Amino acid sequence: MRRSVWQTILLYALIAFWCFIVLFPYYWLGTTSFKKPLDALRFPKYIPYHDFQPTTEHWEYLLKVRWDVTWRHFRNSLIAASGSTFLAVLVGAMAGYGLSRFQYYWRALRWRNDNIAFWIISQRFLPPALFVVPFLIAYADLGLIDKHVGLIIAYTMFNIPFAVWIMRDFFDGLPVELEDSARVDGATRWGAFTRIVLPLSAPGVASVAIFSFVFSWNEYLYALMLTNFDAITMPVYIAGQNTQRGVEWWYISALAITAVLPVILVGLLLERFITRGLVAGALKG
Amino acid sequence: MQQAKTNPTPLMYERGTREDRIMKRVFLSPAVIILLSLSIFPLFWSLGISFTDILRGGSTTAREAAMTAEGPSGFLGMDFSVTLRNYERLLEDERLHSAARNTLYYVFIGVTVQYILGLALAVVLNQNFIGRNVVRVIFLMPMMTVPVVVGYTGRMMFDSYRSPLADFLRRFAEWANGLPLGLHINPTVPFLTDGSWARATIVAMDTWQWVPFVTLILLAGMQAIPDDIYEAARVDGANSWQMFWRITFPILLPLSVTVILIRGLEIFKIIDVIVVTTGGGPGSATESLTMYIYKTALTFGNYGYAAAISFVLLILVIIFATVFLTLARRAAPRGMY
Repeated sequence: MRRSVWQTILLYALIAFWCFIVLFPYYWLGTTSFKKPLDALRFPKYIPYHDFQPTTEHWEYLLKVRWDVTWRHFRNSLIAASGSTFLAVLVGAMAGYGLSRFQYYWRALRWRNDNIAFWIISQRFLPPALFVVPFLIAYADLGLIDKHVGLIIAYTMFNIPFAVWIMRDFFDGLPVELEDSARVDGATRWGAFTRIVLPLSAPGVASVAIFSFVFSWNEYLYALMLTNFDAITMPVYIAGQNTQRGVEWWYISALAITAVLPVILVGLLLERFITRGLVAGALKG
Repeated sequence: MQQAKTNPTPLMYERGTREDRIMKRVFLSPAVIILLSLSIFPLFWSLGISFTDILRGGSTTAREAAMTAEGPSGFLGMDFSVTLRNYERLLEDERLHSAARNTLYYVFIGVTVQYILGLALAVVLNQNFIGRNVVRVIFLMPMMTVPVVVGYTGRMMFDSYRSPLADFLRRFAEWANGLPLGLHINPTVPFLTDGSWARATIVAMDTWQWVPFVTLILLAGMQAIPDDIYEAARVDGANSWQMFWRITFPILLPLSVTVILIRGLEIFKIIDVIVVTTGGGPGSATESLTMYIYKTALTFGNYGYAAAISFVLLILVIIFATVFLTLARRAAPRGMY
């Protein structure tokens, strides 16, 4: 479509404005992590070397002096997120494959594949707060409080519905003939699934993995509830900075970047899978 | 026999070998078992708990019963002697009512703002411009940012005195008050210290994080619309405004309904941003239901009442989804869903 000069200018201005809104907070986090406390607490200082002298002391504190503390929380996040991602992808892919290739009929409920799939995805929209009390009681009884396994189990439960939904959609688009020929050649059903179907659906697996990982990495409520020292994850650790010794914005900023950067980097590298997963999730939902 | 919905090739596994009859269950069972044991069972258990007075460390009635050597009774250690007391308390708990109002405010204002902004940005991004891929990547960033960090950053952005925004407002006010218009703009805005401002600020932060989600989905929907529809409309002399409202918007309607529903249901769960920005304050002016449930369970240790509140949340969520879907179905052209 032909655009007038003014429309073009307006278009670029709008885009630039929104990019500014998105990016400025990150810029602010970045600069604050290099500010001396006085520079961070007084009038806003915008440009390093011009408005303020940057210092790396907060980063040294974070990455050297308190490295063990930082690493402990980072590692906890990593364990909880990757563990639950692995399980959610595995269980989700299996169920998605089942719903795509077999016909189920649950006689008692008169449910077929579509009903089952809908029931599974509807679990995603139940507010997690509903399960707060049962989880607290059960976890205390089972000794799962403050254990990595505890978080992994909870996050797997939250991630499975989306994983099943996306994987089923993905498998529906894969031709059955490939598995059939493998089966004719003597592969078992499970062998065909792991050696043929899963590798072919790598893009679907990738988007499910990213979504599960980001969700578990960012999750706050259950991490806060189910951990108290050993298994505390980054979000809970960061939120906890609120009360100790006042708010140390410079330290929090450095910590925040440490927590956000890995996820954003992975996300940016795998951008197309995210968009794809989002669209598949919404179009079919 | 109803065919499985989407698979175009007829399924050859209908009769099924013995292996397939077993594998069929093996594939689906783990997911179903996990959901049954970690979602459906806790749901009913929680319903049971909501009729008891279980506190952290057990039920008070059960403990008294134990002291009189009767031992705890009932299913899973629950004692239903107080039955409806929690639900009676729901009716007169002012703090709960305010949390429910706040949550509904976040949901309705948040969804409206995010949808309008997201749609507008999708229209913008649907144009051809240089650097489109870079902008798409930038768009994704907030979605992946830890909400707790969004909250902290928001606090730095919205501080009434020391934030860049306050600085901007101060300069703007100085400039505007200097004009011969007789203006007296007060540049100090209580973004996080005044109840209604704080609620709006929290919606702004959630919007910052989630508008990209709305935009990306609507953008994908727009790009799926074939060009010849627009060509035909242009031949008939339609302008861009008409084309948007007569073609793009109606076609996107089903997708819009989904996006709004997803966002609405997600906002019902809001807690992390609020915890780090206002902590629910001033007073309890920004507290959400999830946050109140969390506090009731962990800070006050009242499990029974927390469970009862969580069912208020569930009922609100169900009402929201049902009413919204009914309205959407009624508003949409016949046969759309």
